[in-house]
Amino acid sequence: MENTPTVISSSIEQSVLNIERLTKNIEKVIRGKIPQIRLILTAMIAGGHILMEDNPGTGKTVMAKTLAKSIAGSTGDKTASFKRIQFTPDLLPMDLIGSYIFDEQHKDFIFKKGPLFCNVLLADEINRASPKLQSALLECMAEKQITVGEKTYPLEKMFFTMATQNPIEMEGTYPLPAAQLDRFYIKIRFGYVDDETELNIYEDYLAIQKNQEEIQQVLSIEEIIQLQQTAEDVFVHPELLKAVRNIVSATRNSDEIILGASTRSGISFIKCLKAFALIGGRDYVTENDLQHLTHAVLDHRILYRNKEARAKLLYQIQENEMERLSKLNLSTKK
Amino acid sequence: MQLERAHSWKKLGVQCLLLALPTIFFAFAVLLKLNANYIILQDQWIYQGIYFSIGVLLSLLFYSWRFRFISTALVLALFYFIGYKILEKLAVGEFDMFFLSVQYLIFAFIFSIGWLVGFGFSRWRFFTVFWVLFLLAIEIIIVSKMTTVTAGAIVLGFVPVLIYTFYIIYTSELVRNLNEHQSSFRWYLTKRVGGFFGVVVVIFAIIFYIFRKDFAGIENAWKKVESHYNNEQPNSQRMTKVNRDGTLSSTGQMPLSGSLNKTKQLVFVAHLNNFFADGTTQNPLYFTSDYYTKFDSVTQTFATDTLRPFNDLFSPDPSRISLFFTKTDSSVIKNALATQSRRVVEADIYKVALSPSDYLAPSTAFSVQPIPVPYEYTDQYTSAYHAKMWVSDLNSAYFVYNPAGNTILEDFQKTRYDLLRSDSNYVGIDSEFLDYYTRMPEGKSYQQIIQLADALTSGDSTNMDKMLAIRDYFLSKDEFGQPLFQYSDNPGEPGLPGANKLAYFLFDNRKGYCAYFAGATLFMLRALHIPSRIATGFLTVDRSSKNPGWYWFYEDQAHAWVQVFFKGYGWIDFDTTIPDVNTQQAPQPDGTPPLGTQKVSFVADGTIEKIDTAKKRLILTPSKILFKDKNFQAVDQPDLRLNIAFAKIAADTGLVNFDVLTKGMHITAASYDESIGKIPFQKVTDTAAYIIDHLQQPIPIDEIKIIKDNEPKNTGNNIDLSYLQNFQWLWILIGIALFALLIVILIILSPWLIWQLFNLRAGKNLHFAQRAILYFLNQMGYPRDNQAPEFFAGHIDDQFDTHLSMFTRIYQKEKYSAHPLTSEERQEASRFYKPFIKTLKEQIPWKKRVVLFLNFYHTLHFFIKNP
Repeated sequence: MENTPTVISSSIEQSVLNIERLTKNIEKVIRGKIPQIRLILTAMIAGGHILMEDNPGTGKTVMAKTLAKSIAGSTGDKTASFKRIQFTPDLLPMDLIGSYIFDEQHKDFIFKKGPLFCNVLLADEINRASPKLQSALLECMAEKQITVGEKTYPLEKMFFTMATQNPIEMEGTYPLPAAQLDRFYIKIRFGYVDDETELNIYEDYLAIQKNQEEIQQVLSIEEIIQLQQTAEDVFVHPELLKAVRNIVSATRNSDEIILGASTRSGISFIKCLKAFALIGGRDYVTENDLQHLTHAVLDHRILYRNKEARAKLLYQIQENEMERLSKLNLSTKK
Repeated sequence: MQLERAHSWKKLGVQCLLLALPTIFFAFAVLLKLNANYIILQDQWIYQGIYFSIGVLLSLLFYSWRFRFISTALVLALFYFIGYKILEKLAVGEFDMFFLSVQYLIFAFIFSIGWLVGFGFSRWRFFTVFWVLFLLAIEIIIVSKMTTVTAGAIVLGFVPVLIYTFYIIYTSELVRNLNEHQSSFRWYLTKRVGGFFGVVVVIFAIIFYIFRKDFAGIENAWKKVESHYNNEQPNSQRMTKVNRDGTLSSTGQMPLSGSLNKTKQLVFVAHLNNFFADGTTQNPLYFTSDYYTKFDSVTQTFATDTLRPFNDLFSPDPSRISLFFTKTDSSVIKNALATQSRRVVEADIYKVALSPSDYLAPSTAFSVQPIPVPYEYTDQYTSAYHAKMWVSDLNSAYFVYNPAGNTILEDFQKTRYDLLRSDSNYVGIDSEFLDYYTRMPEGKSYQQIIQLADALTSGDSTNMDKMLAIRDYFLSKDEFGQPLFQYSDNPGEPGLPGANKLAYFLFDNRKGYCAYFAGATLFMLRALHIPSRIATGFLTVDRSSKNPGWYWFYEDQAHAWVQVFFKGYGWIDFDTTIPDVNTQQAPQPDGTPPLGTQKVSFVADGTIEKIDTAKKRLILTPSKILFKDKNFQAVDQPDLRLNIAFAKIAADTGLVNFDVLTKGMHITAASYDESIGKIPFQKVTDTAAYIIDHLQQPIPIDEIKIIKDNEPKNTGNNIDLSYLQNFQWLWILIGIALFALLIVILIILSPWLIWQLFNLRAGKNLHFAQRAILYFLNQMGYPRDNQAPEFFAGHIDDQFDTHLSMFTRIYQKEKYSAHPLTSEERQEASRFYKPFIKTLKEQIPWKKRVVLFLNFYHTLHFFIKNP
């Protein structure tokens, strides 16, 4: 770790402040979506990626753009960059990662970097892209590097993908395979805002629009990276690790589940737990974090046998584990 | 592989509680009653109840997963088979195998029923209907098996079934619909109720058809009992009393009433070894059970007087006397005040419907010895005893009925009249005795009787002739040549209430049954200063010449007659009741006499020290022994080892099973083994110690009788214990009711009790405080369920304006953080609990709080979260 210890020790308060700033900034544009914002930030701080799924017009793209602008700035300067790709079936991997083009001056092919070489990537309507492209993108997301020909190009140190997908327009879409969904740390459903907030939005839509355009960068890339590092130091109690293990293995042992959660998902779960705890302003993970994250982190990685199981099973597994934790008396040991 | 559940754990809990538990209670009661009626069940209702309970509970648990019935039932059958095979391997000897296999069969049968019931409750919607019909059928059979049917017994039998029926059907539906919200609920209900009643009608019709014989039995029993229990109908009277176990006893009193009821029930059989001088002609004697020496002139009832002077009634309780041991009372011989023409006569009495504790014998009985009923007759006779009497040669049942044609009897009559005529004064007899036995009630109507008596006997000088004159008066004819008096079981009553019934009988009606004749005779004799009393018991009818000396006694032979005292000869039976000319007595069937009592060689009486059920051995602490008809006290003697493998065990009620014997029980064990009698026996040292030392132990025992320990006898009306009371039925019922009540109260109070527990622990640390808070909120209708702790806390805080979030945060920190709490945090959290509960209590109205708190479903929900 390159950072000095002094930075880490004071980093909790700093982190909380930073996260607060970021959240406030986003809230200027996105209203009534605090849980979602927190989950998105969780994925980002955990160093993963997020998949947002919902009907059109629920604010997915706006959300992604606002977040990107808040950390990368709208100008697209060198230090932090935001790219947005609208996925279509005819998009090719080359369009994403870039390609070699002939340089007249040097009489040589030089690599022209594609939109993947950025800090925040908004992959809009990811399920419209061809499987070939999806694979390419998800590969990059996992490896954080791109190999073109003989040469390997690392991606930005802070690389955060926000993918959106549209659940209802099934025609001309290529649903992401379960294995690839695994690459996303968190999948959230955006959902509609409640009636009151909606009215509020209608009343204020002009101001919101203005805010959207004028959104300012509040955090630098370095600060994000520092947040990520701070999150790594969040304490996870052994019982909670055990709880994660129990939940993950319960998904594998259920009859109603064809494909349970992987070990990788367990690790991402823990990372997310830490990040979420940090967002909550704590340097330790609690039952709360587990409760909030189980579904967001694990649901999309599990292949259920039927709808009924999808609706109930994970909640049951989680509730059992919560019940166990709730009855767990750790106080006496101290 | 994880099995799918058919019911949630919650539902299973409710099923166990609301369906299985009452059913188990009920099954215990039914098994208890069945055990009282069926010997094959071997009186192990507790075990059987446990089999049933296990069956029900296991099956409920098992079928709360989605198992199919038929395949699992086959598996169960396989288990039974394997169990049987294992049993076969384990069992040693044919007898054990038989014993065990019966046990196993009972187990398998009852367990299967339990299993089926569990399945039915769990999965089969209409099972309860069939189940309660099954129970009703059982109850009907139980009632039909009762020896005495009373209204109370019927109510006791059927009301629980009916209550259970309604309860179980209602509850099973309730449980089934626990989580369902049907729109067509009413239609379903109507359909079900209609269908239910239809099925009940059909099945009842079938049951009535199949068990019509049993119903006829019930009908008869009703008729029999009605007469006894209809005390509000003062005109009806019986000579015997029906005990609650169906046996008969003497009534102890005899009111003069408008009608008499009789049945054709066989009461006992007796062998009376009393013959006339020729040695072949039997001399039947009336069997006396009691003397009525008291007369209440207001109710006009004859009754027993326990304070009568010169009591010559020997009334032991044979059921409390050890088998083969003799109880004698020589004082009755003294009190009989008879010295002339007396001899000892012996009789064997085999009881059928007679109460085990009753003792009947002719004349002055002074000795009783319970004897066993020969094995072949145990299903006919409940118990038996051998009696010895101090009998007058002059006494005979032939008193009224002149045995025309039989010279021996005519001679006998003549000689005895002559003998009795010779002595007609009572000089030297105790004046108290004479006063007591010649006492007359005061009153105008009694004066009439005295006048009549004087008029009838004006020409007679001797007591004997006076007696004969009274007898002849009853037999005389009126001016039209018609009999003056008539025998009638329904003489009717005088129109004026409270009028003297004896005067009405003697002067107006001239119809009556034995009590009237005896009563009228008594007062006429007493008017003439002849000591007399009323005796009750049984009329001995000499019907059979096949078995000389054997007599059969039916209930309609219950009788009352007069005994007259003659100086020197004592009390002589004197029956003035005239024969019933209208209804000729139908010949009663006489059965085979229970012959074949073996000679007993050794008897030991004592308490059971130890029982070895496997080897069928028994260790007895003897209190007395009987050897070669000699009685020895055996206190402080070494214990006897007895081999009871071939013994038949008798209680008052008949033969019982081996396992009735328990430690500390008082028994008499008898051996017929002749080889025992052959031990060297020296007159000089014939002490108990010597005999016991020289006996070959273990002693083979053929006969065991269980002796009831001497309790204080019921004074006044000796109510015999029915089988219900033998099992302390009422107490068990009350016990079960109390237990059920306790459980209900516990269930009702359990949420509160659990809260107390939580509350108590809450002070310990933050964890327990959190648990208590969660439980409290859960009971108040705010279950945390699937909410994150802090989210839930926030929700509660919004509702009640509390700081649960703060507490939850600190608690979570303490629980999961790497760093310990700061002292402020700790202080704040520890101070949190009590004010929080208080705030909550303040904000929820008292009534609502109680209702919410005692909701058992909340508690269930708290502990059983997920199916």
